[in-house]
Amino acid sequence: MIAELRILPPLAIARFGGAPTPMDNYDAIVDPEEPLGYRRLQPVETLEVDVDSGEIARAFVPERLSFSEGGEVRPVAPFLELWALTDGGQLEPLTIALLQDAGATPAHVRWRVQVANRKAARRTGDEADRIEADSGELADHARHLLDGRCANFWPGKSIPFGHVQYVKPSAAHPQVRLRFTPAAGNVYGASRTRPAAGRPADPNVTDVVYDGRRGRWLGHVDTDNTSTVPAFIYRGDSEGRSVGYLDDGCDGIVRASLTVAGRTLSAFGRVGAGPPTYAPDALPIRSVADELEQALFGPTVTPSEATLERVEEIVRRAFETVRLMNTAAMNRGGMAAHDRGTGRRADPIMAPALVDDIAVENLHQSLLAALRSGSAPWFADALRDFDEIGDLSDRGRRKMPAMMRGADGRHLTLTRRQIDLIRTLVRGPVFTDPGGEAT
Amino acid sequence: MLRQSPAGDAGLEQARLAGVEPASPPPPELSGRDYAIFLLRLAAEVEHGLMVQYLFAAYSLDGRNAPAQADVRAWQETILGIAKEEMGHLVTVQNLLTALSAPLNFNREEFPHDTVLYPFGFRLQPVGLGSLATYICAESPADWDDAEALEIKARAQIDAGTPVNRVGALYAELLRVLGDATLVADRDFDPLSVAFQASWDEWGRGYREGQRGAEAMSGLPQLPAPELLIREVGSRAAALDAVEQVGEQGEGFETPVDDNASHFRRFLAIYRGMKGLGDGAADVVRPLATNPTTDLEGPDIGGPYDPATTTPIVHEQARLWAHLFNLRYRKLLVNLSHAFELSDDPGDRTTLSPRGALIHRTFSEMYNLRAISGQLVALPIDGAQPDGPRAGPPFQVPHTLMLPSDEGGRWRLHRDVLDASAAMIERLRDDGPAGGRAYVAALAQMDAIERGQIEQLIAGSGRMPAATGAPAS
Repeated sequence: MIAELRILPPLAIARFGGAPTPMDNYDAIVDPEEPLGYRRLQPVETLEVDVDSGEIARAFVPERLSFSEGGEVRPVAPFLELWALTDGGQLEPLTIALLQDAGATPAHVRWRVQVANRKAARRTGDEADRIEADSGELADHARHLLDGRCANFWPGKSIPFGHVQYVKPSAAHPQVRLRFTPAAGNVYGASRTRPAAGRPADPNVTDVVYDGRRGRWLGHVDTDNTSTVPAFIYRGDSEGRSVGYLDDGCDGIVRASLTVAGRTLSAFGRVGAGPPTYAPDALPIRSVADELEQALFGPTVTPSEATLERVEEIVRRAFETVRLMNTAAMNRGGMAAHDRGTGRRADPIMAPALVDDIAVENLHQSLLAALRSGSAPWFADALRDFDEIGDLSDRGRRKMPAMMRGADGRHLTLTRRQIDLIRTLVRGPVFTDPGGEAT
Repeated sequence: MLRQSPAGDAGLEQARLAGVEPASPPPPELSGRDYAIFLLRLAAEVEHGLMVQYLFAAYSLDGRNAPAQADVRAWQETILGIAKEEMGHLVTVQNLLTALSAPLNFNREEFPHDTVLYPFGFRLQPVGLGSLATYICAESPADWDDAEALEIKARAQIDAGTPVNRVGALYAELLRVLGDATLVADRDFDPLSVAFQASWDEWGRGYREGQRGAEAMSGLPQLPAPELLIREVGSRAAALDAVEQVGEQGEGFETPVDDNASHFRRFLAIYRGMKGLGDGAADVVRPLATNPTTDLEGPDIGGPYDPATTTPIVHEQARLWAHLFNLRYRKLLVNLSHAFELSDDPGDRTTLSPRGALIHRTFSEMYNLRAISGQLVALPIDGAQPDGPRAGPPFQVPHTLMLPSDEGGRWRLHRDVLDASAAMIERLRDDGPAGGRAYVAALAQMDAIERGQIEQLIAGSGRMPAATGAPAS
């Protein structure tokens, strides 16, 4: 018997794309033959949804991966699966059979998706700048547009945030799931006069939607020093005034409900949409996943969680991040230039001889190689602590991760949990005997 | 005999303030400047030798069976920290040699052990009260003569076979010579040589003011984190300051005010802790062989090891690892010495020279030495005695550390060492435990990347190649 419902994954991140076919599924794996190289993208089982019927037409493993189609980026369109916690405490996929056991059918499952883009509203403080879309309750298998509407838009204007589709369970694919397909990744404009029909004059803009007479976003200037939102990272004119651009990114809540035996069960998950990954074989040194892990499990690790493999993964991500940086340029610009505004001249962060891109990349590769020997990490003290992000002394600026900015505009730091993982191993034995026993 | 220096000489004044007397005449056949160079080259060898012996000692510690495991881990980290500081001393001494337009010295064992300026005969051995006593005496201040001193000096003499000389005496003599303008003239210090010298910014890796190295020493909070002294020298005053700082960190010309900062005090703390373990002291030390060597016939080609105490590594796999270790050790020294041949042009902030890459690669080889040591300390030295002594890092001196005179030749030397290393890696790839195989697979790829870069340097400009996308494989 179904006791509770869950949506898995509880957080799904879509990526923009204008191509009609969503991106195929793949893993990014470390090639054992080239452990210091790029991750290898390996195609894995992909579900193809028939747009009209809403059923899964086929499950296949692509022969090769292609990130674009007809010159457009293929969107990453995640599935949100509905799972059931049964009376036996088992978590299992909700299927046609499980529904039947409960006296229900897939038609009894109700979905609702509410997403929003509040980027402008967060800066202007005007609730009327919130752009929101609501699928309404749905139980059919058609595509439902997520039409982003805003009180400060011109009449009849909206921003499409993509669409959702309740995938129709079938005998071959009996599981209950919903697919979120994000928008294309377009930019929308603002005007103080009613926009004319046809293509906007601004080539960056897909449509002019925002009424600059009604709202404050067009011409807005950041003045709130207490805001945690990084200031002025919107398109502005020479005076820093917003030109009124908006995008079709969004995030929000997916809800599912099911009434069985007179009891309504429900679950919710979260979706978000962001830019495509243009370096899919690399992972950033710090990601939302790290934040969530820290929020869920706390800032410290247990001894059993402190493994060399996890440290290696952090170092690998550091290497992959460095690989995408022009370290020589960042040593003079980037955070080095940023520090100028906080009392330091634009001094280079590192000794200039040390920041050659390839040399820095190679150094990280040698770290990776050494860690694979079973030798404990030794570089915990080189890491920047959370309370050192504003330390603009040479020693503070040279800590790792170096030359990168965190969300608060200060030097980037790893999460406390990531640092604790490394520190735990540093305090442990220097060598792990080849037999596996730590010594 | 006291000599009168030119009046008002800043170096002499600094030497006087440091409590040292003006220098005696140099030995026959040596001019004053030449004598300073002789002493600095000897100092380089001493620092290099101490660094290696301390690394070996640190790697021999094993906290698994310790009654207070955290302390053993802290002892280990403390000795590793001292070894890092010796590395700083070695680099600073090379800076001093560079300032005097003298040849650098990254070699060991060129000088006779029986000179009063040489602390004790080189010996790689696991940590014990005897070896610790030897290190303490070598790093001790001149005025150390309490009851504990007598006990430790006696133990050190038994361990070393001869009375142990103080390293401080060598630095005191250096201070005297460099402070005497009649022996070393002001013009002998070349301020333009600083561009070729190692700087803390490039080589310090954050080891200053307790910023690095403290994490693994939490069991001994009273002992300081490593403090890397890397001083650039362009004048007599800077030279005297550098020598004074290096000498002070070793043992202090007098009992240090900041007790625990000196190597002497840190080794003494470990000695006392280990002595407190009584018979249990043996349980915290791996049974590493003394002076392990890949030479089956006796003393290796690299150095005058004592045949009576040299232990050939006969276990086949351990020998392969030991050969690989020696090659990486050589590569480290080649990187280090090559970096000194390339200048850091402060006026050129747009063109990158291979100097930075050589510095990074020097540290990369330190990581490799640590990784390979981890394999060696776990392997028996003799396959016929699987429970017998373990092999350890052999640190054998290569047949030459002379660098070719031209850049092309230097890069060919790098390539030669990589090629020899590749042959060892190939034999280790399919053999041995998983950790070792995973490591050599990564090392092989790392070396292939570096080899590709070196080929470009040999063929081309001497500058680092531009990014080319995917690493070579």
